[in-house]
Amino acid sequence: MSDEIVQIETPFQFNEENKQVFDELIGRYPVKEAAMLPTLHLAQRQEGYITPAVMRYVAELLEVTVMKVKDVVTFYPMFFEEPVGEYVIRICQTLPCALRDCKVVLDHLKTKLGTDVASETDLAKGTTDDGKFTLMKVECLASCDVAPVIMVNDDLYKNLTPEKVDKILEQLPN
Amino acid sequence: MAFIKLNDLEIEVEDGTNIVEAAKQHGIEVPHYCYHPGLSRPANCRMCLIETYAPPPGAPPGTPAVPGRQLATGCTTSVRSAPPERKLDEKYDAIVQTDSPRVIKAREDILEFLLVHHPLDCPVCDQAGECDLQDFSYRHGHDKSRYIEVKNVPPKKDLGPDVLLYSTRCIVCTRCIRFCDEVSGSGELGLINRGSHDEIDIPRSHEGTPIQLLDNKLAGNVVDICPVGALISKDFLFKSRPWFMEKANSICSGCSVGCNVTVEYKTDGLYRIKPRFHADINQHWMCDDGRLGYHYVNSDDRLQLPLKKIGGEQTTTQWSDALTLITEKLSEVEADDIVVIGSAQGTNEDNYVLQQFAHDVLKTTQLGLFGQQPGEEHKFPQFTIEADKNPNTAGARTILGSANGNVVLEGDTLWEKVAGAKVVYLVSGVPDRALEDTEREALEKVEFLIVQDVLPSEVTELADVVLPGTTFAEKDGTFTNSTGWVQRIRKAIDPPGEAQVDWEITQQLAKQLDGEIDYHFAGEIANAIAENVEGYGDATHQNIGNTGIKLA
Repeated sequence: MSDEIVQIETPFQFNEENKQVFDELIGRYPVKEAAMLPTLHLAQRQEGYITPAVMRYVAELLEVTVMKVKDVVTFYPMFFEEPVGEYVIRICQTLPCALRDCKVVLDHLKTKLGTDVASETDLAKGTTDDGKFTLMKVECLASCDVAPVIMVNDDLYKNLTPEKVDKILEQLPN
Repeated sequence: MAFIKLNDLEIEVEDGTNIVEAAKQHGIEVPHYCYHPGLSRPANCRMCLIETYAPPPGAPPGTPAVPGRQLATGCTTSVRSAPPERKLDEKYDAIVQTDSPRVIKAREDILEFLLVHHPLDCPVCDQAGECDLQDFSYRHGHDKSRYIEVKNVPPKKDLGPDVLLYSTRCIVCTRCIRFCDEVSGSGELGLINRGSHDEIDIPRSHEGTPIQLLDNKLAGNVVDICPVGALISKDFLFKSRPWFMEKANSICSGCSVGCNVTVEYKTDGLYRIKPRFHADINQHWMCDDGRLGYHYVNSDDRLQLPLKKIGGEQTTTQWSDALTLITEKLSEVEADDIVVIGSAQGTNEDNYVLQQFAHDVLKTTQLGLFGQQPGEEHKFPQFTIEADKNPNTAGARTILGSANGNVVLEGDTLWEKVAGAKVVYLVSGVPDRALEDTEREALEKVEFLIVQDVLPSEVTELADVVLPGTTFAEKDGTFTNSTGWVQRIRKAIDPPGEAQVDWEITQQLAKQLDGEIDYHFAGEIANAIAENVEGYGDATHQNIGNTGIKLA
């Protein structure tokens, strides 16, 4: 057995602004553990991805074991355990989008960004070399009526064509 | 009490009993994986499905009960006595079928699902022979799988100092997770990923480095409760097939809790120790100190022949020689110059014969008690490991002092007496006993030191004569735990070499000095204790039986 255990050299903690958000947030729930998802989202927004230090910090905040946090982080594909690009592009590949040519949009994105599609276990595969974009396929984004769709971070873009994709990428703030 | 109809049986069970337990009480097996009597019941394995009966909805009173629309999980269905108007078929509190065609079909189907990703590697699996998955597949399963896709092959994982996880074999019953959450309270285990990719794991970084290990002192229990071969003890891995080992019901000698255990052994030694259920003492559990603390029994260093000191060097000798040497020395000195010390590692029987020897033969009243040095107490939500690392402190103390006005020398008073004595007969049996300075100084001053022990130690080094004694695994007898339970230990293996049972050694010494001590087996001594030791009146050999007896 290797005796190696993750040593957390620089502990994570919320910055002042997020501390306030968290304090407001925690008051909404009857038990602290119930605030797990929003707390993790908050931490991921600050740190970029969920590191062991983040898990330990969240566990302490919510008074649960580290394993409970790890459990949740690995359950949901929206939490990342390795670095991702500044913009995470999620492209829907479910049936309605597929029928509306999402493959064309996907191929265009792949060429345009010069990257492959990330898998859940290998995000680096879909991340551009400059660390700006991560391209990943997802299941339904609940907008079948305006297929095909993508999400760039928290924003949904509808009725896509390669031309529209170009415009979207252009107007993203640097 | 609830009166229920279980298959064709009409049985009475305690209110609140679940169907798995009710059936078990009457010899009917309801197969189950996630249910464990010592843990909470998530009903996630679906293996214990049963058919329950109820009157058809909206039917007038008195309508015969019919099978419910859905099957229910037996582990979460409990029965209690119902008011007269709610009795089923006018007399039953519940009607349950555990072997109807629907139930049997459901079990087969569940098993097929549970085996979807299972590697079926029984030939190389440690659990084979004592595996619920194997047994239930044999009794309730299909002979072939219809699954033709690629199986998930999650990695084998190292969880902690003694526990390995073969993830492929896991059926995700979550018993181990609930154990760590509820009994040990340490919560190291959880589920990662989702759906059919679920795996048990400790928290790790994305690269797989552990953030926390499964290293609490109760961790070994997860191996016992794992119904399949997923969680494996490194200590036992590939050591033996379970069916090649003999079993003896015994008591753990690691501390004064007195956990009921099963000692599993072959002719060449002990192989493992597992906890055995006792409702009032250890429930289903034991600690890893006790579980893994047996290795000294198998040690190649065990004392196998008597030793005597000639010119500062200890050399092996014959029993007759050693006994003669001792009895000569004992008859030379006054009774006041002799100190006899019993052991908290020894059985009540060892100590009883020893105090009889001291009193009736040597005529000394100077009796002391020796044992392992105290360790740390560990408290868990549902378990305690005591600081007293001896299994029989309570019994040894009472019995050694029984004919002596309950005066037993311990601690500093003992070592003062030892320092002034000419002959000391010290029965130790404590593995790895380190001596403190006062103890060493006192023992060094003794003119003639007799030590009866199981392993060479700092204590035996000082002895003029060493007699090879026996461990808990090599003798019959009883221990009294810290809460007053007198429980039986049983001989598993033969003592190494010419080592002998401790009370038999003492008895031989007594006989050489014309003492009238003549016992033939441990139960006879237990009866003598019951007759002569205050408080032990009920603790006869018969009464102690399998479950032990609690002293009043």
